[in-house]
Amino acid sequence: MFEIKPMLSALWRNKISALLIAVQIALTLAIVSNSVTIIQERQQKIDRPTGIDVENLIGITFMPVPTEYDMAGAVVADLDLLRSMPGVIDASVTNQLPLSGSGSASGYFLEPNQEIGDLTANYYHTDPHFINTLGMKLVAGRNFREDEMKILGAHDNQISDVAIVTQQFADSAFPEESALGKYLYSGRDDHPTKIIGIVDRHLGAWPSWNLAGNVVFNPMLITGNHKRYLVRTEPGQRDAVFKQLEDKLAERDPQRVIHVETTEENKRQSYSGDNLMIKMLSVVVGLLTFIVALGIVGLTTFWINQRTKQIGIRRALGASRSNISRYFLVENSIIAVTGLTLGGTAALIINEAIANNFSQPPLSLSLLIGCAIVLLVVSLTAALVPALRAANISPATATRSV
Amino acid sequence: MLKMQNIRKSYRTDTIETHALRDFSLEVNEGEFVSVTGPSGSGKTTFLNIAGLLETPTGGQYLLDGQEVGNLSDSERSRLRNEKIGFIFQGFNLIPDLNLFDNIDVPLRYRGFNAKERRRRIEKSLEQVGLSARAKHLPAQLSGGQQQRVAIARALAGEPRFLLADEPTGNLDSLMARQVMELLEFINEWGTTIVMVTHDPDLARRAQRNIQIVDGQVSDLRQTIAQPEAAIA
Ligand SMILES: Nc1ncnc2c1ncn2[C@@H]1O[C@H](COP(=O)(O)OP(=O)(O)OP(=O)(O)O)[C@@H](O)[C@H]1O
Ligand SMILES: [Mg+2]
Repeated sequence: MFEIKPMLSALWRNKISALLIAVQIALTLAIVSNSVTIIQERQQKIDRPTGIDVENLIGITFMPVPTEYDMAGAVVADLDLLRSMPGVIDASVTNQLPLSGSGSASGYFLEPNQEIGDLTANYYHTDPHFINTLGMKLVAGRNFREDEMKILGAHDNQISDVAIVTQQFADSAFPEESALGKYLYSGRDDHPTKIIGIVDRHLGAWPSWNLAGNVVFNPMLITGNHKRYLVRTEPGQRDAVFKQLEDKLAERDPQRVIHVETTEENKRQSYSGDNLMIKMLSVVVGLLTFIVALGIVGLTTFWINQRTKQIGIRRALGASRSNISRYFLVENSIIAVTGLTLGGTAALIINEAIANNFSQPPLSLSLLIGCAIVLLVVSLTAALVPALRAANISPATATRSV
Repeated sequence: MLKMQNIRKSYRTDTIETHALRDFSLEVNEGEFVSVTGPSGSGKTTFLNIAGLLETPTGGQYLLDGQEVGNLSDSERSRLRNEKIGFIFQGFNLIPDLNLFDNIDVPLRYRGFNAKERRRRIEKSLEQVGLSARAKHLPAQLSGGQQQRVAIARALAGEPRFLLADEPTGNLDSLMARQVMELLEFINEWGTTIVMVTHDPDLARRAQRNIQIVDGQVSDLRQTIAQPEAAIA
């Protein structure tokens, strides 16, 4: 019924153009499936839970103008002010803003006086309000106490006695047992930092870092040349609070430069590269699919024009309209399936290469098959219009044209 | 077998309307061999196309095998073409991409025969036209006369009751033309009704009956078989 064998021999005599389209379909599948894999991975990355109340957080950075400045006193007064503002749930002092792309990291050792074999983590210098301010969940141990706060100068040895870590960091440091009550050390030092609590999740300052999620919190205030606060508002109050913050802080102490930003904006900027990548690859995928569809429309139309007489002859010999349309659709499927088989193989090879060289995610077979099915449908749809038109060629063409 | 009454066919372009057939009436009986002659543009091909269900008339009545075909759907007409009618064209009309075997196979596939039956019929009809050895050749590798014999084999393979030929010898030299004519006569002897358009008066005379079309109408219904010289020619 589908005349595959004679169709194949007819195709073989037109192999160059058939092969060109097959190769185009193959390349499209290879590029599209790998692009979709990358898009998926980036989207999953963006969609990861951050562990914090992103929508209701505001970050403040300020720098005092006078060189002699009572930083510790200013922080106490500012935090009192912030926590008393209507619409504010809590506020904390911090050395970095979450998801902002800028922060600090340090190496942590499980034994004293080590030089190699450390675990890297993003760290916060903050206060006992930080769990409530960020909106995190304490899953084990306890929060900091006020008396554990250390106030240090920029040049002091900044090692804390206690720390709270994320579950992810706890699991990588102590995969076999609970991290609670264990000690961390800085390199070439024997001062122990006891892990007193574990929070479920926080991506830290750099969401794109391969170790994002390894975070250590220390109860500490370093009286450096600038300081940051985090403010968490009631749901829906963020923008109202945001508007007043700068004025209120300046009102309390005008001798400083203040900058206010939302964590949502920080997050958006941190993922802007990923979003751009997703947009670009989506355009590439759409464009390639469109071009391959155009190519198929063009080739099918060309072949049908070339074979007008032949179609008339087939009609004269008893082919129905649907026989004719089906002929071109089946022919198109043969080319498409050939292309998709080639392309599937190429896609796996390309993916192998970029997975090895650019640490891209592996291409899953189900995604490859999904893309192949979509392209097959696109290819059949593209061939459908010319194929239906071919069915309208009159059987009289057999006797009329020369 | 074939009965046309007051068939009209006109072609309309933007500017003019051509009346290719006007009040065309003709009857062809089962088993007849009818030749059709007439000046160029008189409507011979138009008549053949309507007879073979390749075109629909603008008006009039056409009975094929006693069946009124005017109201049939396109797919019913396709099926009738496939089962009852064989075509032979001036330009042979073999499909250039397919070898002889696959060319003859084309109508048989539309007929829905199984592979074994198709093979049997293809081999038989290739043998009838004396080209069994060339089954795997492409049309381009054959002479004109051989190509026309393949076209005849393709028309025969479906064992049609009705064979329509539009100048089947028009592109052949006289020797080839005579071979093809002999083949058609042989087929007719086995019971197939044949209507053949030709410009060659000698060939036309060899048919049992010759009709002339002039200006879209049948002008003359001489019985050529009665003429004694036809038997010698
Ligand atoms: N598709 C068409 N559109 C317009 N006019 C047509 C069409 N087909 C045929 N005609 C006209 O119909 C008339 C009859 O044409 P037809 O082909 O039947 O002639 P013919 O007798 O077969 O001529 P010839 O001996 O040259 O093959 C001619 O005037 C021709 O120009
Ligand atoms: Mg003609």
